[in-house]
Amino acid sequence: MEELILKLKQEIIEALNLEDVKPEDIDENASLFGDGLGLDSIDALELIVLMEKNYGIKLSDPNQGKEIFKSVAVMADYISKNRTK
Amino acid sequence: MKHIVVLNDKSVMVDGVPMQLENQGMAMLNDVYRSRIGDYPKFFKMDALCKVGFVASELLLKAETDGEISQRKAHGTSSRAVLLFNRSGSLNADTKYQATIQEVDNFFPSPAIFVYTLPNIVTGEIAIRNLYYGETNFIVLDSMDLHTIAEQIANAFQDSETESVLTGWVDCYDENHFEARMLIINRNEDILNELNKITQ
Amino acid sequence: MVVKISDNIVSPLGMTSEENYSAVKAGQSRLSYYEGKWNLPEPFVASLIDREQIQVDGHYTFFEQIVIKSASAAIAEAGIDPASPRVIFVLSTTKGNVYLLDKRITDFPEDRVLLGVTADVVAKHFGNPNKPVVVSNACISGVCAQIVAMRLLERGAYDYAVVIGADMQSPFIVSGFQSFKALSPEQCKPFDASRRGLNLGEAAATMVLGAKETDGCWKLVRGAIRNDANHISGPSRVGEGSYRALKYVLGDCSADEIAFVNAHGTATMYNDEMESIAIERAGLLDVPVNSLKGYFGHTMGAAGVLESILSMRAIDDNTILPTRGFENLGVTHNVKVSNTIGHTDKKSFIKLLSGFGGCNAALLFRKEELK
Repeated sequence: MEELILKLKQEIIEALNLEDVKPEDIDENASLFGDGLGLDSIDALELIVLMEKNYGIKLSDPNQGKEIFKSVAVMADYISKNRTK
Repeated sequence: MKHIVVLNDKSVMVDGVPMQLENQGMAMLNDVYRSRIGDYPKFFKMDALCKVGFVASELLLKAETDGEISQRKAHGTSSRAVLLFNRSGSLNADTKYQATIQEVDNFFPSPAIFVYTLPNIVTGEIAIRNLYYGETNFIVLDSMDLHTIAEQIANAFQDSETESVLTGWVDCYDENHFEARMLIINRNEDILNELNKITQ
Repeated sequence: MVVKISDNIVSPLGMTSEENYSAVKAGQSRLSYYEGKWNLPEPFVASLIDREQIQVDGHYTFFEQIVIKSASAAIAEAGIDPASPRVIFVLSTTKGNVYLLDKRITDFPEDRVLLGVTADVVAKHFGNPNKPVVVSNACISGVCAQIVAMRLLERGAYDYAVVIGADMQSPFIVSGFQSFKALSPEQCKPFDASRRGLNLGEAAATMVLGAKETDGCWKLVRGAIRNDANHISGPSRVGEGSYRALKYVLGDCSADEIAFVNAHGTATMYNDEMESIAIERAGLLDVPVNSLKGYFGHTMGAAGVLESILSMRAIDDNTILPTRGFENLGVTHNVKVSNTIGHTDKKSFIKLLSGFGGCNAALLFRKEELK
């Protein structure tokens, strides 16, 4: 799981253009939206694309994103259970 | 004094004074952001056209307010219009977006790129940064014709709330070919006379 | 004062403004469910023009063909000479020929994807010597183009303006909105409690504007563009830009004079909610509100021109057009939306639009009485 969490952090940084953020700056249990990294609605949509592109997981309802993208740890857990790639 | 910013993929000039820069292209813009601006992480989400327009407008506004940027955002204003022009529209973002859908077996349309496939988004980025509630518009021409541009700027003053127009040519053909020529024109100024300064 | 001399609509509902108005009044729409169209993996609902119906001679893209077809009709009706230097072409479009970016399409030169180039092709078709002005201000372009034209005419720069709003659909645009999860899987429901997003559409709509007042003419009274200064794709939660635009165009007009506000009404959760807030803030809660997106889908660069033309015809017909797709109000403020035909004797309306980039536009129209 640790490897996946690190990989996920790197992918998020790249996909969302978080230029000055390093993986060690991201607390995997901190909330991604709101205060945490200050991500917005477009970032949430881009994370949906990331899930499909890198892990073969299709989210049909964007509202599922609210639960799954709570934190990197929650995301990694969901991915490990549902990935097809 | 009329402040003018002229930048392209190789150089940045504020009021005719070139900045000392090591890099070119996007790396150069990122350097200018980091050394002269630096307080707006959203900058790195912007597409190239928006970065070009944003950096140019920040340098221009810093020159206008003698560096006292914090003052200008206090209340927001509708007295300043943002009216920009170019030839390429949002071509760079369009091309990048097309790449995300071109291959049937690698089809991953990107919302973060798609949102920038409209040239007026750069006017939106400038409005958000500066709390400009006034008129924002984007006009595409097939060349930087100063008479046409002057006519459109003159027209903008027909809105009775508009006292000044942040305006100019902001074009990004691709990440290695871009330019911005930006200035602020105030009501009752000789528009064509002021505009001519962006070609000097 | 700027007046409307003639108009035309080319859309899936017809090739003339009359055909379009009759179809809308009869509650028709060509919104259809497409599966596998253009090899797109996800299905979508859209209103598309039958390509066979548009036959314009010459090597033109489909976008240019619908623009030329619509402009030709409006110009003919106006009886003006489009080759005159006193005539200016103003084109409103968001994506023009963007479909040409597909590497498999090679029948036009690369630079045809540039908006200034395609506009020039159109102007040259009509022999017009002036450089056309292309307004590309997201989905409010149609109203912005009218405002740009109004200002040019009011300052005496030209005698006539041919304002054309047009966009064609393509995999580029459809997939983009799909990535935004902004599209409804069914026919759209503006302002409705169960609305699920927008439908896409395509059209070309033209107005010929002039600077000479005549009796019994339609006047473009006042227009305004204002920014939310909030977010590049999400509308302001307080409808800031939309409210400011409405306030400006109302001026010292009373809300009583306004027959209806023809809203943007795209049927996304956020847009319709935002417009209801702006309408309330502007003191227009008692004024009927409608949206025409249920007949055409969102025609993007064409919307501002198309929807204004139909609104003018509605007032000429003493009618408030129903909001097709609406059933139960699903926005915070009690805006007066209806799915049945309304009657009005009032002579003014406001066209309201919003677009990506936080921009909003409003335009006040008034029909002058015959003296």
